[in-house]
Amino acid sequence: MSKERIKISPDLYDIMPSDYQDLVQSATYGKEDRGWKDIGTSKELIEQHSLCAGCPESMAFRYILASLPNPEDTVMVGSTGCTSLVFPMVAVHNIHSLFGNQNAIASGLKRALSVRFPDRVKDVVVLAGDGATVDIGLDMTLQAWFRQEKFTTICFDNELYANTGGQESGLMQKGFVAKMAPVGKLFDKVRLPEIARESGCHYVVNCTVSKPSLVEKVIRNSVLIAREIGPTYIQLYTPCILEIGKNSMEGLQEMRDSEKPTERFAYKEYVSEPAKQFLAELAAKDKERKAAAKQLAGKA
Amino acid sequence: MAEIKSHIGTQNKKGQTYTDAWEMMHEAPRNPSFYTGSEVIKEALRRASCDVMIAYPITPQSEAAALIGELFAEGYIGDYFRGESEFAVMSQCAGAAFGGARVFTTTAGPGTMRAMENFPMWAGARLPIQMIVTCRGINSPLSIQPDTIEISYLLNTGMLVWHAETAQDFFDWILKGFMVSEEPEVHLPLALCCDGFFVTHTKDVVNLTPADMCLPPYDPYRSPVPCMDMECPPVRMMRDPFIMKSNYISYATHASWQQEIWAAVERSRKHTIKWINGLIDTENTDAEVVIVASGTAVSQGREAIRLLEDEGVRCGLVKVKSLRPWPGEEIREATKNAKHIFVPEFNVTGWLAKEIKATIPNSERVHAGPHVCGGMTMPPEIIASEIKAALGLRSESLAGRGS
Amino acid sequence: MTQYRVLPGPEHFLPPAAASMGIYLPNPGEAHINGVIVPEEKAYEEAARQFLMAQVPTIFPGPLVLWAWNEKAAKKAAAVRKLYEILKECVQPGQKPMLIPMPDYRPKYPKINPEVEINPNHPNLTIWHNKIDCCMFIGVHCHQANLSLKIIRGGTSCYTVAMCAQAGHEDAMLSFRDASVEKILKLGEWIRKLKGTVKPRLTTAKTSASN
Ligand SMILES: Cc1ncc(C[n+]2csc(CCOP(=O)(O)OP(=O)(O)O)c2C)c(N)n1
Ligand code: SF4
Ligand SMILES: [Mg+2]
Repeated sequence: MSKERIKISPDLYDIMPSDYQDLVQSATYGKEDRGWKDIGTSKELIEQHSLCAGCPESMAFRYILASLPNPEDTVMVGSTGCTSLVFPMVAVHNIHSLFGNQNAIASGLKRALSVRFPDRVKDVVVLAGDGATVDIGLDMTLQAWFRQEKFTTICFDNELYANTGGQESGLMQKGFVAKMAPVGKLFDKVRLPEIARESGCHYVVNCTVSKPSLVEKVIRNSVLIAREIGPTYIQLYTPCILEIGKNSMEGLQEMRDSEKPTERFAYKEYVSEPAKQFLAELAAKDKERKAAAKQLAGKA
Repeated sequence: MAEIKSHIGTQNKKGQTYTDAWEMMHEAPRNPSFYTGSEVIKEALRRASCDVMIAYPITPQSEAAALIGELFAEGYIGDYFRGESEFAVMSQCAGAAFGGARVFTTTAGPGTMRAMENFPMWAGARLPIQMIVTCRGINSPLSIQPDTIEISYLLNTGMLVWHAETAQDFFDWILKGFMVSEEPEVHLPLALCCDGFFVTHTKDVVNLTPADMCLPPYDPYRSPVPCMDMECPPVRMMRDPFIMKSNYISYATHASWQQEIWAAVERSRKHTIKWINGLIDTENTDAEVVIVASGTAVSQGREAIRLLEDEGVRCGLVKVKSLRPWPGEEIREATKNAKHIFVPEFNVTGWLAKEIKATIPNSERVHAGPHVCGGMTMPPEIIASEIKAALGLRSESLAGRGS
Repeated sequence: MTQYRVLPGPEHFLPPAAASMGIYLPNPGEAHINGVIVPEEKAYEEAARQFLMAQVPTIFPGPLVLWAWNEKAAKKAAAVRKLYEILKECVQPGQKPMLIPMPDYRPKYPKINPEVEINPNHPNLTIWHNKIDCCMFIGVHCHQANLSLKIIRGGTSCYTVAMCAQAGHEDAMLSFRDASVEKILKLGEWIRKLKGTVKPRLTTAKTSASN
């Protein structure tokens, strides 16, 4: 929007609930270098939600929303699952329609926005659970990539179906005993990051959300590459502390344990050649911009 | 509204003039053309100012869907692609409609069934998508032949459902359908059905509106729900948040939401009547025998009536054009003199007859049939003979014909 | 012709949508009162009368006017404010006009703060808490307005008015259509005109119908 449009009518400003007054006064819509560091000093784009206390999904949401390059022109697409408890509270337009169809919704949405706003940037970002992304919605996940749809797919991988009570999912580890896997899961964790690369994604990252700076970089890259080049895929470990029997303080440690070099969430990244070139150009421009700003500051 | 009006009289990139829809459909000169039903769909779409069309092959709509692709290549449609399945296509249509586009798609038979989860979602989300359904068989064993059974599954989705008889209906109703379903107080998807092959693959003379006129564009900011483009408030907006806490408040909200969908179907009545000139058409409903039908069964009924006339039996006709909204009042009125009501249908269950029985007094007057299905034709003679049998008149055995 | 009338509730465990009871929306230039189509002029008078009669006449502005997303919206917001000021000016001691926003439509569980906002998923909470006996929706998306209006009719005795920018609302007891700055201000003029001629209700509305 058009940050200018996120503005309360002056004549009714005083009656707006304070969270909206804060939102227009100090949220970082339209801020060029927005990122995780704004958390704490600005109004976040997320309100109180009803995830379990300490659920790492909430951390992930906060970092992601702080890092979207232009939330004022971003529409998000979710799916059924724990994430949909948060989405009503997110100050970015977002869509939930059915379980598993998120990449199909995003395909139609992105094209509609491109038709309607040919000269403007409108980012589309999918954010869904592992069940939605890899099991019930797999064909739509992959087909959107095959078609080179220009949006980002983020998967909150908690390695099970949390919202329905902890059933087996394709991204669950082999051997894990869960509902509907009564003798332990019999096959390996699906290797979606590799599949994503083979399916035409230009930027693929597999990591946890333990480090906000890393999440910021990854999200920013993934959205910008999707905007200019083609589909991107980010798989983030957001452990379901409830179902793996951890208490609310233990989510962070669980992520740190799982991102060790030999573990399944060790940082892995794939960048296609065109995306590499794009990122290099971006870095060069950034450097130039910062140097210019420094010079300007020096003069003043 | 103001934005729409301001488009009228201006030209799109293909040089077509955005024209007041009523003027275009009712006052502009018509050009008789000899086309297949599929080609007619294409010609309607050429004039529809459609933003996004999403396609998937299934007989008998594949040709129409491919022809619209040609329109896209010519620059008449904003975007067009082949989705990966009907389920995906209908979700892609939803995505485009959430984003404020005028959206069109086509499907048939197993495709309709594959996509089914989307339809109540479309209606609940108030997405005015138009879907052409070229009906065919759905059960195993597979059949590509005309059969209207799938319509019965659409009737309780909250979509508007119209049933076209001819290619002319099709041409007019595609364009008029957008006008009805995009009204802000309606704003519901429309399933525009026809009987596969009979309409899609036969040639007919169809009177087309001028090719240099097109519908005014869709205005998503008149929608009864916020458009998901970050251009309109509220900024903190999810389409559509769950309402599933276990308490009375949540139940009441969901109930109210469902009622609102059906209220919107009711509100479409006024506009449907205006645009397609009534929910039903009637002929000679003062007769003691009346045929009530929809789709091509109407054409067969009309032929049967001619045959019966030759034998001195007078018979009226009710053509049901809209199934949702359901023309209950109209059918009660049109059948009030009838002692016998025949409902010929191209499906095995006779869903139209059931709907009619539930609508009129003295429902024993309804003879649910004749039925054919699986692609069989319905010769007018079998309708006539069933009517004569019910009236106690002699008729030749039709099963023996040709032997 | 339907016999159904859209009246203050509480109507039913689950009140029907008025449209499903055969109530039609007004055409341009018209409005409806209790589901009966009337010339718009008559609706101004009745809405003004209802406001002046109420103990807690309340305006609920929705997102389409709360946010200055285009010039027209900001102007409508100014007109809403003006209307509220007029209302305050014209009521008698003991009456308490309120201006409460419906800032968004998200379900807020388990509850909202009914003093500062109204929510379409449980609008009755705000009505009950503030003892609102007459309210007007303006700038609420039609779908969400209808959800609210039905729930209010189901569980409260509040008289509902819709100042709708589109085709109007059958689920309100009185509805305008094609709302504009002029129409909002015209309602204000009517309130001024009727000032002092309408006797306010003395007790707070409970379960009895109020008209
Ligand atoms: C068609 C359909 N099938 C099943 C469900 C039930 N369902 C809702 S959420 C969910 C699991 C979600 O798992 P995931 O995507 O991993 O998200 P999480 O809750 O773990 O974050 C399931 C199976 C549904 N809503 N719709
Ligand atoms: S169930 Fe698991 S994933 Fe869902 S909110 Fe609770 S901890 Fe998080
Ligand atoms: Mg999961």
